Amino acid sequence: MSATRTLPIPAHKPSLLTSLKIYREFIRIGFVNILAFRLRYYTGIITYLINVTVYYFIWRAVFANATGSIAGFSLPQILTYVSVGWILRSFYWNTIDQEMAYEVIDGKIAMDFIKPVSVQWMWLARAMGESAFRLILLTAPTAIVVALLFPVLPPASKLNFALFLVAAVGSFFIMGALNFIIGTCAIPLTSILALIRAKFWLIELLSGLLIPLNFFPRSLQIVSSLLPFEHIAYTPLQIYLGRLSTTESLKLLGLEYFWVVALILLGHLWWIRATRKITIHGG
Amino acid sequence: MPDTPLISVSALSKHYRGFKRREGILGGIANLFHREYHTVKAVENVNFEIGRGEMVGYIGPNGAGKSTTIKMLTGILVPTSGEILSNGFVPWRQRAAYVKTIGVVFGQRTQLWWDIATIESFRLLRRIYDVSQRDFDERMELFNQVLGLTELLPVPVRKLSLGQRMRCDLAAALLHNPPILFLDEPTIGLDVVAKDHIRQFLRAINQRYKTTVLLTTHDLDDIEELCRRIMIIDRGIVLYDGPLARLKEQFLRTKQIKFILRDGDQSARLAAFERNLPSLAPNGDSGAATLHLERLDEMTCRLRFDRARVSSSDLIRQILAAVEVRDFVIEDEPIEEIIKRIYSGEAAMTPSLVSEVLETERSSAPR
Ligand SMILES: Nc1ncnc2c1ncn2[C@@H]1O[C@H](COP(=O)(O)OP(=O)(O)OP(=O)(O)O)[C@@H](O)[C@H]1O
Ligand SMILES: [Mg+2]
Repeated sequence: MSATRTLPIPAHKPSLLTSLKIYREFIRIGFVNILAFRLRYYTGIITYLINVTVYYFIWRAVFANATGSIAGFSLPQILTYVSVGWILRSFYWNTIDQEMAYEVIDGKIAMDFIKPVSVQWMWLARAMGESAFRLILLTAPTAIVVALLFPVLPPASKLNFALFLVAAVGSFFIMGALNFIIGTCAIPLTSILALIRAKFWLIELLSGLLIPLNFFPRSLQIVSSLLPFEHIAYTPLQIYLGRLSTTESLKLLGLEYFWVVALILLGHLWWIRATRKITIHGG
Repeated sequence: MPDTPLISVSALSKHYRGFKRREGILGGIANLFHREYHTVKAVENVNFEIGRGEMVGYIGPNGAGKSTTIKMLTGILVPTSGEILSNGFVPWRQRAAYVKTIGVVFGQRTQLWWDIATIESFRLLRRIYDVSQRDFDERMELFNQVLGLTELLPVPVRKLSLGQRMRCDLAAALLHNPPILFLDEPTIGLDVVAKDHIRQFLRAINQRYKTTVLLTTHDLDDIEELCRRIMIIDRGIVLYDGPLARLKEQFLRTKQIKFILRDGDQSARLAAFERNLPSLAPNGDSGAATLHLERLDEMTCRLRFDRARVSSSDLIRQILAAVEVRDFVIEDEPIEEIIKRIYSGEAAMTPSLVSEVLETERSSAPR
């Protein structure tokens, strides 16, 4: 029994183009998959509206006794920040971690192993399809309704809007990569409910979605600038509002995309590490 | 010269490590500080080779280690120790390249996407496995013919019945025409007709494409209809590996003669024959294991006998002399009985016997 004598039936390596086609197909699947749950999206619009309304009134109350601006934000700016923030969240949000945790407990994750694709990119592509779907069925309607109901400022300039869109795509990838890392933890830990919840609050807070980071103490702002979370909401929203110069914006965008690459790479390595000792349940 | 094996497995072991959870609150706290670990030896020192085009049945009682073996062979699980070389790959180390060359069906779960129409899953698989549109159409045509997929394709997988889903899963596993197919309980929960379809299909694929198949099952009819070679595993250890025919030859203990009496008048003569039965057994050995007569109904009788001690031709002569018979059947003990004896340890094979069987198997089996 020696390795050299065996004649393998060759499996040719797919070109970049064919691999892109594979993941495009996964994006489509994510999109079609979600079609089955359309109702969830109609109720989703209402949830987001409620959130915007709550934070709208909270910030109105905060500014009621203030004259001018707080931490460099005027009232119209902060209201725009909150509204656009929630619209943005409806796009970048995904539940890769929860779905992976479920598949690990169920043992379904084994089925991902027998497919000749990158498991990480499969999840990311599916989330992309879902996000594309959200963009049409959730983000766009929410944006229209919010813009009609609340005094939302337009983007600072066309360039700012373009950079905002680029940053929003980065938000999606940071969120997706983070969720994949958390989801992979389910393989050694099995139950990651607590982890998912902790991540949820960490991101709601440190992304700057609930409170712009300018409101935090200086020390926390410094710590936060060394972490990826603030690029999920804070960075794109700053750019939208035109609170930064173009060079500053570009620098931050660069940093954001550095984190995108770093987190995807980290996720890849963590997946390899976690699956080396894998135990699959059931069967 | 025989071909080199397509799959070779040597000294393969998989040990699961678990810890005993103590019960109650105190136990729970104790668990935090000190855990008593124990190992489950799910697969222990397993060796085998499978040649191209072989169809091998892998059987064993619940918890024997079948699924664990399949998971290692498909690259899902990493072995604790030992080696696997399958189609030139080390499954878990070269997973992405390897899985392109295999097809897998786990009867317990589907590899199709749950919420989308089945045809969408097939389209996605076509992309994943980089199957040309022409090959895709051709194979789908074949699957449609044998498995009758046409009316299932627009339906989402979650709405398919178990048997329908299994047909789709089987087709999905073969869409890229892999040289190796692993099936873990492919006929679980299916009705007789569905089982028959699946078996026919597997036979056709094996003949047409020389696909190598390793399947686990609890249905011995699967084995009898599909596999010339079987492997029996229990508690992680392979107990038998060889042709089904040889298993029968070695472990077949009893045969049975069923005969139907010509008319009701035979009853008295049969009673006399029955009284006379012990004298037919060799030197006074009149145990029921050696010779045992049963009346199945008014007219039908069954005589079981130890084939090593009593010759069937002798018996037939005796029966014909004693009673008038309308019909006759000689049967082997059903394979279930043999397997049951092996599972329960009654027919335990000595290690030397195992290796002897393995040796002869390696040198003589057609590849
Ligand atoms: N994830 C796991 N963790 C711990 N022990 C496991 C795990 N999976 C399986 N086992 C144990 O390993 C042994 C073999 O399990 P396996 O699933 O391979 O059996 P099997 O032959 O497929 O049985 P069945 O016919 O019931 O499907 C069993 O004792 C089982 O309890
Ligand atoms: Mg099993």
